[in-house]
Amino acid sequence: MISLTINGKSYAADVTADTPLLWVLRDTLGLTGTKYGCGIEVCGACTVWIDGSAEKSCDVSVSEAVGRQITTIEGLSPTGTHAAQLAWIAEQVPQCGYCQSGMLMATAKLLRENSNPSDAAIDSAIGNLCACGTYPRVRAAIHRAAALLAKR
Amino acid sequence: MNEISTPELSRRSFIKVAAASSGGLMLTVMLPLGGRAALAAAGTVTAYVSIASDETVTIMAPAPEMGQGTMSTLPQIVAEELCVDWSKVKVAQAPAGASYVNTVTGSQLVGGSMSVRGYFQGMLKAGATARQMLVSAAATQLGTSIANCTVANGIVTNTLNGATVTYGAVAAAAALVPVPSDPVILSSTRGYKLVGTSAPRKDIPSKTNGSAIFGIDVRVPGMLYAAVKHSPVLGGTLASTPAKPSGAIAVVPFKNAVGVVAKDTWTAFKALNQLSVSWTRPATAAAMTDATILATANTLMTSGTPRVAETVGSPTAGLAASATLLNMTYTLPYLAHACLEPLNCTVSVTPTSCEIWAPTQAPGMCVQTAATITGLPASAIKVNTVHMGGGLGRKFEQDYIAQAVTISKAMGKPVKLTWPRSEDFRNDQYRPMAVTKITAGLDTYGNPVYWSNRIVSQSILGQRGWLPSGAVDSQAVDGAVGMPYAINNRLVEWVPHTATVPVGFWRSVGHSINAFAVESAIDEIATKLGVNPLAFRRRLMVGNTRGLAVLDRVAALSNWATTPAAGIARGLAYHESFGSIVAQVVEIQRVAATATTAATVKLLRVSAVIDCGLAVNPDNVAAQIQGAVMQGLSAALWDKIGFNSGVPNVSNFNAYPSLRMRQAPRIDVAVISTPGAAIGGVGEPGVPPAAPALANAYAALTGIRLRSLPMSSIMTNMGGGDD
Repeated sequence: MISLTINGKSYAADVTADTPLLWVLRDTLGLTGTKYGCGIEVCGACTVWIDGSAEKSCDVSVSEAVGRQITTIEGLSPTGTHAAQLAWIAEQVPQCGYCQSGMLMATAKLLRENSNPSDAAIDSAIGNLCACGTYPRVRAAIHRAAALLAKR
Repeated sequence: MNEISTPELSRRSFIKVAAASSGGLMLTVMLPLGGRAALAAAGTVTAYVSIASDETVTIMAPAPEMGQGTMSTLPQIVAEELCVDWSKVKVAQAPAGASYVNTVTGSQLVGGSMSVRGYFQGMLKAGATARQMLVSAAATQLGTSIANCTVANGIVTNTLNGATVTYGAVAAAAALVPVPSDPVILSSTRGYKLVGTSAPRKDIPSKTNGSAIFGIDVRVPGMLYAAVKHSPVLGGTLASTPAKPSGAIAVVPFKNAVGVVAKDTWTAFKALNQLSVSWTRPATAAAMTDATILATANTLMTSGTPRVAETVGSPTAGLAASATLLNMTYTLPYLAHACLEPLNCTVSVTPTSCEIWAPTQAPGMCVQTAATITGLPASAIKVNTVHMGGGLGRKFEQDYIAQAVTISKAMGKPVKLTWPRSEDFRNDQYRPMAVTKITAGLDTYGNPVYWSNRIVSQSILGQRGWLPSGAVDSQAVDGAVGMPYAINNRLVEWVPHTATVPVGFWRSVGHSINAFAVESAIDEIATKLGVNPLAFRRRLMVGNTRGLAVLDRVAALSNWATTPAAGIARGLAYHESFGSIVAQVVEIQRVAATATTAATVKLLRVSAVIDCGLAVNPDNVAAQIQGAVMQGLSAALWDKIGFNSGVPNVSNFNAYPSLRMRQAPRIDVAVISTPGAAIGGVGEPGVPPAAPALANAYAALTGIRLRSLPMSSIMTNMGGGDD
């Protein structure tokens, strides 16, 4: 039995130590907001925070996650009102929406470290793949979120 | 009309059959007879409208949602006639059911950019029907006649005394009112109030907090997890059922694949890798190799038997009148759909029932698939349509649905099947490769007087047995026939390619191929004549009022009349598809090599204009165009599926790049509504112009004409993960 701390809560998972965190979140614990896209760390759909760092959970074994603070999209904001989430709705960002959990986790991490990111900073921090091509709206939403944060 | 909903016909051919017939099907908004009272008590007024006691209005979206927005925009049309406050509306995805059939296509599926086009009138009627039933019940409660009632924002008012009653208070009674057969469509006289506004999409909040349930997220009590491995060689078959690997609960054989069942997805994936499978190689494998496929296409171009798709004027006379001939041959690759959500399906089969939770573009077809496999009647099969993480034409297919039904049936338990990403890439039904040769003839004054377009490509319809012998595959020539330019002697021909690569419907289908050739060639002719590409197109479109308006708008949006700065160039493309008109200008910049990076181009900006007749939700239309431009540019720049003896050479996104944030251009979209014009499609028409506009921009920048896709050499900082 493996113990994990996710979104501030304790979970126990009966899985082999090599199981990627992604699949423990999704199948074992039912936290399905984190998505499987590529399985090889190139698409970013599975992005979560591990001790505050944005990581691809498809390539983190569950044993590596033990004892660390894991945050998923479900834990980004208890009320779904993180500035990025509000901005995402205001800019009507998602189309199919499949990549957006990862996109939001990468964005929230960026905003935590840089509350008013430039376009260049956004380019460098947000590498997630969006097959629907929402990038211009993602960019606008990040700037909007920064403005919301400045008002708070 | 029964014949149009048979699964043997392709969605697109039956779309054409149905669209050609007048009137379409009648939309059924009746609730099932049994249980109507119980549903009524819960506020379910019709199959489309439920109203809770707290005045929350729930409207069913009949078409599946794959990102195109119709889960919200179709209910928006219902809400127009229902006369309710959009902020009080919730939307729900309808299950497979007769009430939810697209009245133009005759099937409950999403494809062909047909959702708003096919459901629009039905949605108005669904809203008007429920409104009249609610007003009727309200009038009874208010003790007056319907004629004395007005309605707004879900509140019915007795105009004689000002007394009011809410929809929520009369919903249960309204559900039992006789269903009006010919309800009054208010908007036909008063105009639209909600339609035509950018009402916020209802599915978006759930897509920002992880709560939206995609197919891959479905969880059913007691379910097992499955994964599947196909023959590595396309067309190969399973020689014998392999032994069950450690960790697996069961192995389920298919003709061309093996399924494994395990306690979770990861264990199933690991078990797939441990399978020792013997496959039977198909005789066709060796020929399924890039060089062979291309050589065959070139041979067919010169010596194949063409089938005539379109003749305009006299091609013979046009050729005779030509003083100069321009020969231009374009080559396009096979493409994968590459939906970010891999194929998956959850099914629970019991001896007497089958329930499916599927990310599917075609819930109606899933019923037929399950009926065939289980032997159950359609009435015992329930299909729950859940969010698709992209569909793009791939999730119309039934292969993954059939596998999941088969595995659940074999296990006697609920099963969720998930394809590993590599299986998804290697077992697609690919956008066909094509070689297309355009010959344009100019007379002694430089007027284009002859146009011949011969296309060699595999037949999507033919591979499915949907193409009559000797017929032209409409999918192969879409976008090549019906050219908007007044070149008065034209011939469009198609030669079926003999390759056996599985091919399918990729966003905009034949238009994605033919617009590249046609719009590149038009630009090449303009260049040859030394005429501005915009002026050249305008000259050939005299009298096409809507088309010219789109061109002029994109010219204004892109500052076409100004000369770009040194090292910057613009390219234009125009294309009509799915009932809509789109023009795009791509602006690119040359970026010189540095000590550490190769020379490349940067996508500065794309200006796009669409006239889709009526834009139900203009912001959503703009979003679709933005996304289509990104997809069209990604494919044009980098994407290609190659084959070596039947083995696809791409198995993940690292070998199939897409634009990422750092490469994505700014995209400005103008949405034109043309009052009174037929409604056009929106999901696909933005794709076709992107590739030729880019090629035309590159030719303007460098003088180099790229006639073969992808243009991998021009943009060297291709996508990858964030690094």
